[in-house]
Amino acid sequence: MLASPPANAPFAIRHHKPEALREALRKMVLIRQFEEGAEDCYVRGLIHGTMHLSIGQEASAVGLCMALTDDDKITSTHRGHGHCIAKGAEVGRMYAEFFGKETGYCGGRGGSMHIADVAKGNLGANGIVAGGIPIAVGAALSAKRLNPGSVVMSFFGDGAVNEGAFHEALNMASVWKLPVIFACENNHYGMSTSTERSSAQPRVAERAAAYAMPGITVDGNDFSAVTEAGHAAVERARAGEGPSLIESVTYRWRGHSKSDRNRYRSKEEIDSWVARDPISRFATLLGEHGIADADAVAAIERGATREITEAIEFAKTSPGPDPAALARDVYAPDSAPDDSAGVPA
Amino acid sequence: MNVQAPTLEPAVRELSYAEAIRDALAVALETDDRVILMGEDIGIYGGAFQVTGDLVQRFGEDRVMDTPISELGGAGVAVGAALTGLRPIYEFQFSDFATLAMDQIVNQAAKLRFMLGGTVSVPLVMRFPAGSGTGAAAQHSQSLEAWFGHVPGLKVAQAATPHDAKGLLLAALDDPNPVMLFEHKLLYKMKGPVPEGHYTVPIGKANVCRPGRDVTIVATSIMVQRALAAAETLAGEDIEAEVIDLRTIRPMDRATVIESVARTSRLVVVYEGTTTLGIGAEVSAAIAESEAFDYLDAPIIRLGGAEVPIPYNPELEKAAVPQVPDILDAVRNLVRGVT
Amino acid sequence: MPKVDMDMSSGTIAAWHADEGAEVKAGDPLFDIETDKAAMEVESPASGRLHNILAGIGTEVAIGKPVAWIYAPGEAVGPPPESDDGGNTALPANDATAAVAVTPAPAAADHVARTADRQGKARATPRARRLARDHALDLSGIAGSGPRGRIAAADVEAQALETRTGGTVAHRPLTWQAEAGPLKVHRSGTGDGAPLFMIHGFAGDSATWQPVEPHLPAGHPVLKLDLPGHGKSPRRQIDSFRRLARSVVEAFDLEDIDQAHLVGHSLGAALALALADVRARRIASLTLIAPAGLGPEVDGAILTGIARASRRESLAPWLAQLTGGAQPPDEGFARAAMLARRDPALRAYQIDLADTLFPDSVQSFDLNPVLSRLEIPAKIIWGRSDRVFPWRQALRAPGRVALHLLQDIGHMPQSEAPEDIAALLSDMLRITDRSHAPV
Repeated sequence: MLASPPANAPFAIRHHKPEALREALRKMVLIRQFEEGAEDCYVRGLIHGTMHLSIGQEASAVGLCMALTDDDKITSTHRGHGHCIAKGAEVGRMYAEFFGKETGYCGGRGGSMHIADVAKGNLGANGIVAGGIPIAVGAALSAKRLNPGSVVMSFFGDGAVNEGAFHEALNMASVWKLPVIFACENNHYGMSTSTERSSAQPRVAERAAAYAMPGITVDGNDFSAVTEAGHAAVERARAGEGPSLIESVTYRWRGHSKSDRNRYRSKEEIDSWVARDPISRFATLLGEHGIADADAVAAIERGATREITEAIEFAKTSPGPDPAALARDVYAPDSAPDDSAGVPA
Repeated sequence: MNVQAPTLEPAVRELSYAEAIRDALAVALETDDRVILMGEDIGIYGGAFQVTGDLVQRFGEDRVMDTPISELGGAGVAVGAALTGLRPIYEFQFSDFATLAMDQIVNQAAKLRFMLGGTVSVPLVMRFPAGSGTGAAAQHSQSLEAWFGHVPGLKVAQAATPHDAKGLLLAALDDPNPVMLFEHKLLYKMKGPVPEGHYTVPIGKANVCRPGRDVTIVATSIMVQRALAAAETLAGEDIEAEVIDLRTIRPMDRATVIESVARTSRLVVVYEGTTTLGIGAEVSAAIAESEAFDYLDAPIIRLGGAEVPIPYNPELEKAAVPQVPDILDAVRNLVRGVT
Repeated sequence: MPKVDMDMSSGTIAAWHADEGAEVKAGDPLFDIETDKAAMEVESPASGRLHNILAGIGTEVAIGKPVAWIYAPGEAVGPPPESDDGGNTALPANDATAAVAVTPAPAAADHVARTADRQGKARATPRARRLARDHALDLSGIAGSGPRGRIAAADVEAQALETRTGGTVAHRPLTWQAEAGPLKVHRSGTGDGAPLFMIHGFAGDSATWQPVEPHLPAGHPVLKLDLPGHGKSPRRQIDSFRRLARSVVEAFDLEDIDQAHLVGHSLGAALALALADVRARRIASLTLIAPAGLGPEVDGAILTGIARASRRESLAPWLAQLTGGAQPPDEGFARAAMLARRDPALRAYQIDLADTLFPDSVQSFDLNPVLSRLEIPAKIIWGRSDRVFPWRQALRAPGRVALHLLQDIGHMPQSEAPEDIAALLSDMLRITDRSHAPV
């Protein structure tokens, strides 16, 4: 075992303890297997609706969340399974949500697109592109007033940066110097339309200049690079210096959703990104620094497989919602205690 | 020893509708640190209609926040703040601008609690200066409350008096759900008795402002005042109109309306929003679906806004929404069996 | 001139509700006619302008003959169109012109009239409908004061007030006031022969005898009694059959008749029997048609159904029960019967009377002993298809009482087989005249 990482080692290796790094790898593997499992359940007809898979983007989700604590909050996107697991959610309750079960995180009312784990600070995936960005700014306002030192990270995709909400939210966050990190996972396509075709300035981080905040572009499949960018932005936010914009360049291996026929991407392009698999790269990095050898990685994978199997079983056997409770939770009870903050303890 | 009984009744002053709202905002800011005001030009300017007035001087810019002209972003920030522990009160400069913020109101505020399985709530108050009569034309004069009344998860109220303006606002703040308050701009200068301190007017409860036996006039917002004026005239013609201020259109107090119509057998619904698919339709349907149907002795009349954008010309503007003579004609025809 | 009464062949115009040239609306009252039974309002069958009023007030017009013309808007008004002598009104070529009150209504008029009510449904508010249900009133008989003839609650209430709550629902308190004065006896016919004294049945009136009368032999005056609370007789407090019988005896005594041929139908027959019992010396003969009082069984539902009926629609099914079934009473009959029953106080009275005389659908009085001791010539006429009183009750009659059982005849032999009844009565008159003739 190395006493301490060399000075020229990547940021993640220098900054995080081996256990934390192995846990990060475990989460990335779990995300991958979770989505593969979800895909399998979907094709078996166990899950209805649709879902948006982030396979290939695991380093971005886990790396950016490395600097967050349970006190910090995130807002997520329709492609939000990775964020949810990275923030600490249980895969059993996530599957249960996909299966529309009462034991799901949203009682089966939200499904994949609204997956949330409020107790861990995940304010929810959002079905509206850029819908979560102003909400994150509002949460940051709360953080500044009610819980100084805590921060909010808002995940969104490259498609969201052309929504008005993105610009309005970044502007206000900067005007009010709010502790929020805007994390753009640039996977090159808003559904089928590439950033080159949709954005006059495809380099998302460049837009930070318009709102007087730091903007940085990182290789989203490089766990350490992502972690480093996230760390800097979170530190800046905690210090009260205001928001940052991170552009994490990555790629989704699967289509936009389950109905995508993939007409807008070439096989060569997809293969080139599969070759840059963030999990293999991170596992290799951990191996190089003696943090996790092949056996350890295999053990992590086996552990994840077991966890996924149990989680799916839990979801399958969980009870569905009572139709009589259809209108439950449309309104909060009027008799809510006076100190009811939005988020329950 | 002769102990003097303490005064239980709070002092009541004559305040304008705008002052009553400001009074409510001040009470809220004083009593609850989580309350913040957000909106365009609500700080040093005092609000486009001088509702917030001097509150920024009294409570500071951290509590009375001028937002950029960013209705969508501003509404979203308010939603996010409400979601995470603050009690924001968001002022739209004109209710018409809510169109820019529909995603955050309809897709986010209204649905978050439900989508997230009841694990969150959005205790958000939004204020919407609404209505015609100021010569501001089509994009600054609308009455869009029925739009929001269509959305499960929202509550929508309209105060018709200074007293209710304050009481409904404080009730909205106590409510753990997003509450939309539509304030008629012509009412801002209307004076009326307003108690000091904290009191609430329940959301979801209609107010029978004037009892009567011959016809029920259900009205909202400024139309309550017009209905009351009409009822006064009608009383001289031996027509006793019962005037009900709906106060809240979602949830709607159907029971009060049903009980009244079952007694009077006649119903006129007066509201400023476009007639079609509006409050009148909902109130009418409530009657048609209730036991009061059997007691109807004449067709129901909806007196709503004309099917036009609000025009600029003052005569046209008046003609576009119900006025007192319109209510008089409708009621007379109804009671005398002409309609 | 519409036919509104079963036996009506003509009607007299009693009033016009619209003037020459006036705008009239379908459903508006147009004119009143009088028959010997009742006055009746006739509604305009069409909307348009009223012209060529042929029949002034007091004019008697044969049914089916035009009384005036209604012209469609814009139609040229000329001399009254010709009509043939057959009583059928000839419609002008332009069928937008509708003849008034022709039976049946001309197609064009019918079409226009339907604008006032769709598929025969009255135009009424929900409250009016509810009130009408509560009062057991038929909306089709209520004039609407609202636009397009819409019936509002006030219209129903006015009708209900007019009928003093109608007395049409069993649990509703019924209102009628006792009245003073002698019972009404209608007279017709002249001659020196012994008069017939005829007593109608429950819920009927002197008109019961109308079908038979033309077939009776001449020479005998006919006296037709209206029972208390029936026809034109005052409503008297009746707490028993005996008391009712006493009022009949009083009426008979007032006539100061030396010898009379008594004829009764149903309840009237029972009363005739009771009268014969106490005035035997003044009774030449007794004819009992479908008599009450000879057995306990009675179909109370029919009696109370008739008593309660406030509209011809509710009356007609019960009337159908009265006859032998071969031919149910037509609409005109029901309408006429209902006209006689239009007064709700009359109906209220009769409901009370039915309860007194036929409590729990049992005849409270037994006249078999009377029949046994009767010595005057008597006959019983009964329809074998009588559904009110079973004809087998007649089999208890003593041998000297003649029995005539009519095939396929119900409870109303005098209207179902008037000529047969008249013939049987003629026999009785002849026999008894001979028996009383000086030797």
